Amino acid sequence: MAFANPLITASSIEATEFMDLTRRYRVTGVPKTIVNESVEILGALPEEMFVRAALQLPDLDTRDDQTAHVDPV
Amino acid sequence: MALLSAQDEQVLKQHLSAIEKPVTLMLFTQTIGGSESGPVARQVLDEIARLNEKISVVDKNFILDLDDRQKYGIDKSPAIIVLSGGEDTRMRFFGAPTGYEFVPLVEAVLLAGTGNVELQDDTLKLLATVDKPMHLQVFSTPT
Repeated sequence: MAFANPLITASSIEATEFMDLTRRYRVTGVPKTIVNESVEILGALPEEMFVRAALQLPDLDTRDDQTAHVDPV
Repeated sequence: MALLSAQDEQVLKQHLSAIEKPVTLMLFTQTIGGSESGPVARQVLDEIARLNEKISVVDKNFILDLDDRQKYGIDKSPAIIVLSGGEDTRMRFFGAPTGYEFVPLVEAVLLAGTGNVELQDDTLKLLATVDKPMHLQVFSTPT
């Protein structure tokens, strides 16, 4: 995604090395993706679902919001 | 002691043979007071760089190279920035890229070296609508 759009930056974080971040975002299972420090995506989703979740669009099949929201710390 | 077996090396070399553009792996580490994962990260990058002459590793000091830190927005180390033809691809890896981070790193190198974005057309259309900065942080673990 980062390669495809110059506005997007993608960081892979090794959870056990950065415990302050792991705690801040309540990472209890991996993979866990945090979008703009506020939107959480749990697990490895299929491509379209992941992108729609990152853009906070409803999933096409279920119309459910696939994201959880984290209160900014 | 090499991290990769001879067989793994062959497989990866084949996989990375499609690289056409120079890929730079810029590594920020802290030499004094840094974590032990800095040298491990360096070792992993060196092994990847050995697989293709177009891949190179550049060392930066997290404390001293402030201009570069600012340029790439690096706030923690060890940090790996993937450059394609000298340009930032905006793909970053924080922490030693062992375990689950290793394959994504190799794939990032391949992407940087070939420019072949393997996303579906619908995905690319969605991504084209992004008009504000977006930062994705993906957490993974070493085992």
